Amino acid sequence: MWVQLFRFLLRRLAVSLPLVVGVVFVTFMLVRIGGGDPVALLAGPTASAQEHAEIRKGLGLDQSLVTQFGIYISKAAQGDLGQSWLSSKQVSDEIAKRALVTLELLLWGVAIGALVGIPLGARAAARRGSTFDQVVRALSLAGFSIPTYWLGLIAILTFFYALNLSPAPMGRLDATLITPERITGSYFIDALLRGQWEVARSALSHLLLPVMTVAVVACAPIMKHTRAIASEIVDSEFIRFARSSGLGERRIRSMVLRNSMVPVLTFLGTEIVGLLGTSSLIELIFSWGGIGQWGLQSILNGDFAAIQGYVLFAALLSVVVFIIIDAANYLLEPRGRERM
Amino acid sequence: MSRLFSLRKVCTAGALCLTLAAAALPAGAATLVVAATKTPGGFDGDALKPNTQNVVVQVYEGLTKYGYKKDPKTGRMVLDPGTILPHLATKWTISPDGKTYTFELRKGVKSPFGNELTSADVVWGWEKSQAQKRTGAFIAKASSVNKVEAVDRYNVSFTLDAASSIFLPALTLYTPSLYDSTEVKKYVTAEDPWALKWIDQNTAGFGAYHLQSLKSGEEAVFVANPNYFAGKPYYDRVVYKEVPNAGTRFTLMRTGQVQWVEELNLKQIAELKKDKRVKVESDEGSGHASVRMNPTLKPFDNPLLRQAILYATDYKAINGAVFEGIGTQARSIVPPIIPGADVKTWQFNTNLDKARQLLKQAGYADGVDVTLEYAAIFWFEEQLAIQMKDQLAKVGIRVNLQKITDANMRSRTAPNKRDLPFFTFMDNPIVLDPVYALYLNAHSEGASNRNNYANPEFDKLVDAARIEQNPKKRAELVNKAQQMHIKDASWVMTMYPGAHEAMPTCMKGYVWQPDYHERWRELSCK
Repeated sequence: MWVQLFRFLLRRLAVSLPLVVGVVFVTFMLVRIGGGDPVALLAGPTASAQEHAEIRKGLGLDQSLVTQFGIYISKAAQGDLGQSWLSSKQVSDEIAKRALVTLELLLWGVAIGALVGIPLGARAAARRGSTFDQVVRALSLAGFSIPTYWLGLIAILTFFYALNLSPAPMGRLDATLITPERITGSYFIDALLRGQWEVARSALSHLLLPVMTVAVVACAPIMKHTRAIASEIVDSEFIRFARSSGLGERRIRSMVLRNSMVPVLTFLGTEIVGLLGTSSLIELIFSWGGIGQWGLQSILNGDFAAIQGYVLFAALLSVVVFIIIDAANYLLEPRGRERM
Repeated sequence: MSRLFSLRKVCTAGALCLTLAAAALPAGAATLVVAATKTPGGFDGDALKPNTQNVVVQVYEGLTKYGYKKDPKTGRMVLDPGTILPHLATKWTISPDGKTYTFELRKGVKSPFGNELTSADVVWGWEKSQAQKRTGAFIAKASSVNKVEAVDRYNVSFTLDAASSIFLPALTLYTPSLYDSTEVKKYVTAEDPWALKWIDQNTAGFGAYHLQSLKSGEEAVFVANPNYFAGKPYYDRVVYKEVPNAGTRFTLMRTGQVQWVEELNLKQIAELKKDKRVKVESDEGSGHASVRMNPTLKPFDNPLLRQAILYATDYKAINGAVFEGIGTQARSIVPPIIPGADVKTWQFNTNLDKARQLLKQAGYADGVDVTLEYAAIFWFEEQLAIQMKDQLAKVGIRVNLQKITDANMRSRTAPNKRDLPFFTFMDNPIVLDPVYALYLNAHSEGASNRNNYANPEFDKLVDAARIEQNPKKRAELVNKAQQMHIKDASWVMTMYPGAHEAMPTCMKGYVWQPDYHERWRELSCK
């Protein structure tokens, strides 16, 4: 089975890589056609036309777009994603530093969203039409309808401004504390591992509000999809058969949940990838400093290399997440293996 | 399942977590926390990136400085554009022809690395700027500096191409910077003879602060220069924290979590004025919120159309709708704070009939379609653009609004590009001199002549004013140039929104600066 799984994942990877190159190609072209001219930004007010041309040449922008893309992709294959003009740092270093910051936010948020959303959705499916179901549906609709940006601001106004229960939305740690030495990149986990309890407490307190915002955003669709999927399974013949055979409700609920796991897991994958974009706004509001905030500012400042790096990261994250989901599905769903 | 997720348990867990969060709130110290729009992209004053200027002014100080005076209306200390005082230089002599200045440097001025400021540092800094051909080189050009030479260890001479009234105010600036060249030279390589890579990510000045650490996207931490010549500043540490959302910055100031906050809009300022926990200090400022027309591009190459747009603009309505009614109507590209600003020549008061008549004469009796491009570099841009669209529609000018990225706006209004026909922008002259303001904004060589205004007669007047030593004659030239610029009608001069800074009520020492950046060394909150 493991050899088959390995072959299957290799096949998936082979199909995904051209997709990633395609995404990077489109971004590369869009950025150059529609973005600002970095030469005009880099050259000073006294620079002559000749100096402009020299800077253009130095950046490799004097060559055709196709040649530029060829150079970019060959360097990217070797791990060189270029240098951000905004920070003068290697884009690969920036991504490595910030990706974990965002992933920490997303994973906690989606995990909490799933822990709340899946059981509520499953229970609502089991009690369709009941008050509980109506409440879940209303909550789900509300979660869908509330703009992320607004939700973040309301959370800050309520828990920080009005109740003073949350720390200032100014990043991941108090300004007075020294950041823990890096192990994983998560201040909370690193501080715990190094025994810096005060730092861990501060990191946790800073995590709470943005994580809860992500969790609310993630929870609504998870709840809705789980309910829809579980409803289908509840209506399926094997559940009706189980029920008519006299199986207990607890056992039936367990069967429903287990059979819902494959589509729900697939949906969770799309949620993580989709929330990467949403997290840009949440990061912006909470001054989180992750890759979403970086990506957004790179776009506003016309930082070519950084924009491409951000999109490449998003594309690769999608590939990795979907491969993991495929692997999980492969293991959880024996019936589908032949189709895979 | 229902028990596991009972409301009571969720609330208890939430309350526990939030209590932990509250316990971790920071305690104040002699640390200044600034809610900044962004961490600085770099620290080279000649290669400005977002927020570079905000912090290099704290690190690199000038040979001269502006004097301060008491404002009789408010009782606050304000900057006096007419007084230039010694700073890192103690005195200077001027040759009879006004072309050679010799400065005696203040002795004992040391960088955080312990090296003393000498004439070699001054020469090195100016040569670096000239080699880079960027901001510092523009300042040198505007002030006619030809050569900088060390006379001896503590004396340095500047030779000018022509006598310049801009020169002494220009020396108040952060660029060309006075680097601790002994320290910087340690990072010079064959490929990088000015150590630009090191300067871009580090600081080595003789000012009150220097960079301790930078976490891009999170914060930059500055600490006081222990060797600062004017003594230890009140704040020995400054945390320059990235808070990109204006709403969050506003809330942080309201709750006292930060002592300084960057770039609030006037609506937020008006709110903070009502808040007893915060005080707002307002100054006239020098930034001009404008809508510019490129006279070299169609249809704005038609002066009658440009004049029609000026007459069709309702300045009062803009002030009320966009600037909370507290802006000062702009009537010249020389800000009113600068002595010599001419506010009498302005002739384009709102007159819709006149606008329609001019439009007809321009050949647009049936109206005209134009595109107004704007970005989000300045908070007012979108609101101003919407107002313009609404107002110009009344005379038949159909405005199509187009939002572009900040980078696009900056690059398309940069020298050697300047291809935007109609756009919003704000510039503020960092040298408070009328000739500098005219040269910067409208001379064909001006770094901020973003709409490509080119009038050889105007250039001649400004060039003559740059070298004129007789104050009366100079004032005449400045006046004529302003009149010519107004007549040519390439700027919709809307408002000077003013400079408004919010701070804790205990904060003292703030004085508005032409670059719009507070000086941390002057602030205290005892």
